[in-house]
Amino acid sequence: MKLPYSWLVELSGSKWPAEEMGDRLTLCGTACEDIEPTARYFDKIVVGKVLDIKPISGADKIRQATVDIGKEKLNLVCGAPNLEVGQKVAVAVIGARLAGGIEIKKARIRGIESSGMICSESELGISQDHAGILVLDDSCRVGKSLVKALDYDDYIMTFELTPNRGDSMSAIGVARDIAALSSSKISRPKFKIKPSKEKAGKYLKVEIEDKSACPRYAARIIKDIKIAESPWWLKKKLLMCGIRPINNVVDISNFVMLECGQPLHAFDLNRFGSNKVVVRRARKNEMFKTLDEKEHKLSPEVLLITNGKNGVAAAGVMGGFDSEVRPDTTDILLEAAYFNPAVIRRSRKFLNMTSESQARFEKGIDPNGLEYAIDRAAYLFQELCGGSVLSGMVDCYPKKIAPRKVAFRPQRCNDLLGTDYKTSLMKKVFKDLGFTIAGSNAGTNDKKLMVVVPTFRPDIEREVDLIEEIVRIRGYAEIPDQVGNIGPLFTPIHPQDKFKEDIRRLMTGQGFDEIMGHGFDDSRLAALVNPGQPLLKISNPNSVELNVMRNSLIPFALTVMKNNIAQRNLDLCLFEYGKVYFPPDARGNWREEYRLLILVTGQTQQTWRDKSRRYDYYDLTGVLENLSSRFKMPKLEFTGSSIKCFDSELSFEVKCDQKVIGKIGKIDKAIAARFDIKQAVYIAELPIPDLLKLCDNSRLFEALPIYPASSRDLAIVVDETVKAGDIVSTVREAAGKLAEHVSIFDLYQGKQIAKGKKSLAISISYRSSESSLESNQVDERQRLVVGSLKKEFNAEIRDK
Amino acid sequence: MPLLEQIIQLEKEALERIGNSDSLDLLNAIQVEYLGRKGKVTAVLKQLKDVPPEKRQQIGAAANKLRVKLESLLKEKQTSFADLGPKTIFDPTLPGTASRAGAPHIINQVMGEICQIFYGMGFEIAHGPHVETDYFNFAALNFPPDHPARDMQDTFFVEGGRLLRTHTTPVQSRILAERKPPIKIITPGLCFRYETITTRSHVAFHQVDGFMVDEGVTMADLKGALVAFCREYFGEGLKYKFRPSYFPFTEPSAELDISCFLCNGKGCQLCKYSGWLEILGCGMIDPSVLEHAGIDSEKYTGYAFGTGVERPAMLKHKITDIRMFFNNDIRFLRQFT
Ligand SMILES: [Zn+2]
Repeated sequence: MKLPYSWLVELSGSKWPAEEMGDRLTLCGTACEDIEPTARYFDKIVVGKVLDIKPISGADKIRQATVDIGKEKLNLVCGAPNLEVGQKVAVAVIGARLAGGIEIKKARIRGIESSGMICSESELGISQDHAGILVLDDSCRVGKSLVKALDYDDYIMTFELTPNRGDSMSAIGVARDIAALSSSKISRPKFKIKPSKEKAGKYLKVEIEDKSACPRYAARIIKDIKIAESPWWLKKKLLMCGIRPINNVVDISNFVMLECGQPLHAFDLNRFGSNKVVVRRARKNEMFKTLDEKEHKLSPEVLLITNGKNGVAAAGVMGGFDSEVRPDTTDILLEAAYFNPAVIRRSRKFLNMTSESQARFEKGIDPNGLEYAIDRAAYLFQELCGGSVLSGMVDCYPKKIAPRKVAFRPQRCNDLLGTDYKTSLMKKVFKDLGFTIAGSNAGTNDKKLMVVVPTFRPDIEREVDLIEEIVRIRGYAEIPDQVGNIGPLFTPIHPQDKFKEDIRRLMTGQGFDEIMGHGFDDSRLAALVNPGQPLLKISNPNSVELNVMRNSLIPFALTVMKNNIAQRNLDLCLFEYGKVYFPPDARGNWREEYRLLILVTGQTQQTWRDKSRRYDYYDLTGVLENLSSRFKMPKLEFTGSSIKCFDSELSFEVKCDQKVIGKIGKIDKAIAARFDIKQAVYIAELPIPDLLKLCDNSRLFEALPIYPASSRDLAIVVDETVKAGDIVSTVREAAGKLAEHVSIFDLYQGKQIAKGKKSLAISISYRSSESSLESNQVDERQRLVVGSLKKEFNAEIRDK
Repeated sequence: MPLLEQIIQLEKEALERIGNSDSLDLLNAIQVEYLGRKGKVTAVLKQLKDVPPEKRQQIGAAANKLRVKLESLLKEKQTSFADLGPKTIFDPTLPGTASRAGAPHIINQVMGEICQIFYGMGFEIAHGPHVETDYFNFAALNFPPDHPARDMQDTFFVEGGRLLRTHTTPVQSRILAERKPPIKIITPGLCFRYETITTRSHVAFHQVDGFMVDEGVTMADLKGALVAFCREYFGEGLKYKFRPSYFPFTEPSAELDISCFLCNGKGCQLCKYSGWLEILGCGMIDPSVLEHAGIDSEKYTGYAFGTGVERPAMLKHKITDIRMFFNNDIRFLRQFT
């Protein structure tokens, strides 16, 4: 909301400079976001009179004009279609700087010298209108500076209001806060209507069908008006408030709304269609055309003002096309109503349209403030449009809304704020706000005040709302900073949080960068990666790329990879600890879970002494093995399984303790291609709850060995199909419990080995916890191992 | 010379030469001379086929034993030389070769820092679901249906009648409904709002909310805790101001601004020439929120506050585009290792 500083001064009597006024209002919750001088582009702009206009040969859009600016006559080239001889216009002379960065210099246009410019409203920064030049009132004296001629030296204050403060959506509303802050009173303009003998009641009856949606509806009738342009003072106020002047009737309604916050609507009485206003809910599928010429199919969500038959306005949101005020309008029906804010909100949502009126109705206006507004507007119609105001206001107000009485305990206020205010000071704040304190017969006593809150503050319903008024007017600076209220003595750390941190440390320690998702996915990609899996759909997505919640971390990881590859970041070790989401199951249970995703692709880092190699499957299993050993989980197993997003050759379930706890594999080529990925990508995805269950956090100490270990290496040749895991198990079984470690430390296939065979080198470390092992004990175990390997795998022992 | 003697001779000679060798090159040469394809020991082994069968096993065993012995001796000595480093000129300016550590995501780092500070003030960390009910996200927090306050938080709805939480404050609703005061909690996490994705806004963002409920909690406690937090996170010496604001779940409500740490309050592009930066929203928990949860709002009072994570992260680290966080370009991520 924009308001000129001078208007606030006029209403509040404040002597604060604009900057100070803005700061003080901000500190009381009426946030002033910006203060702009109005005449920023008015330097070197003077009033001129057009003496003569001549066409320019060969140019049909531009003309040359002779303009008298008092001390001289200027020859100016002008392109405006509305330029006429005799007009008073705003002339920018050499050196002026206009809005939009235009600087006025001597120029030659089509061979004609032009030493200035005739300005439009947009060039002066008054409005966005640049269709033609600004034509000034004839009373402006030639040669006078424009800022003086228009009395335009002011500041525009822009307010960002919170949704609870409907009361401050007007000049009077803001002035009330200024008055409260400076313990003064606002002064409303004084005016007097000279009503005609004719009674408005003769022309109009009001019926309200839905009294809770429309607690009050009032109207006045003004006859014999003449639609015309508004006088400059009125146009100026509207321009400064950022509202485009249209004609005197519309401008007056807008002006009164800006002044006091009460929206008004003027109908053309002769086009109204009846002499009866009926306020009712719209019928299902009832058609209605708003004044912007849009047809709407209504529903009972919308409150409709009707003439007894047809809609004439969508209550509080927008007027109807048929009864709109037009240039030939002479008689008007002026509406001032109070609608239930929630009803207006629903109407607005249904119609999907907003307006200045709707914004005020929706936040709540003063049901008892409309007499002032409707009289003020009627008075202006009388003064500015030559109208004759019919006597009386037709007012349908079945149940008067009375000011609320709210109990307030000064002690409670201090207890909540941590302050030490005296009751007298609190009473003064209420008085400054225009609230009153009821007498003892209404319940006021030493410990409790019954505060009477005027109806212009519908937001104040409870004691705590009054406490907020105290702090709002006194300012937060008066509340001390206090450190010491400690609450519970013990602050636990939850296992999931600890686990998350541990995983993060473990992963980054191994060189993995952490990525972070936003939870959304593209349903097409999600279905591609995880076909047939249920997806939680967004009912109101804001793009097709983000139309579901992800049910796997894989699509987002591939998207991140795609982004990185586009930047030539080809070698990636990434992980994410993020959530996936599922639609409710058959029993209506909703589920979301954290998962860990690990991704490797590209090449390892090459240094001057280590060659790089491609990342592959074993880099992932290595990380998982580190994870399982860090958290003392049972041994992990990887069993072949056809998982849709993986290459069929490289697709495994991760098992632990006989349970599937995740998947690992190489992303299928066709899927990778959908992400513009050509290089091999290896991904593992594991649900965190499953991992957490398998963690052994006991972390018990195991005694260090006392006796030395004795190790033996063994090289065997077996069929290439034999699995290393099976060999290790066989070795362990044969070697018995003396075998402390069994590891595979070399794998060879190639020229020196027969085709279809592979050579494996196995290292076995034997140790006893009871004694040093003799070499013959070890040799004997080793013989058993060799025997088993020969028997089980037909292994050939390579001589060493 | 009979083969057996040759073997003894070779052993004596080789052991002496290995013992006297003083460089890796020499050792490598010795290895080739004795054990290479045309080496002396290899030559003996090749002659084995001419030896009468009855003697072959004895001589063969001796030759093999020599081969194994030389191999292991050479290996041992080679290793001892190799440990002294390569025989090139030592270059201390070559880059070190440690492997690089990964970077935790900057948002998680910032969120962690914020939580750590509040943890130090006795706040426990709690979480809740991202897919929430209208009740916990709005109704329990005193957002009445058809109230303009709902427009402050444009909401994504999901099929099945729930919504994506628009703030982490629903965790407060849940905890208040479950526990008895005293309660002192901080709730970090992901939130969602129906926004256009630009350099300044995104459909998802992180928030850290916190609240405390006990007997006798005042607005002065709230100010104390938040000022302590800002000093710790943004540095000593900054100015701050609380100004009235509006949140449905707090009353009175306030916005906390700190003096711009870039220009010290003089005005710059970061603070849009105001000298101030909006940091967080806060207030005293609205009595209706406590009552909703079955907590006696006469006996207990509480405060609540909430801050975005992306915004302070952008301010503090001078990041200009919010989309960087979810774009996950590793060159960006690794700047915050
Ligand atoms: Zn600054």
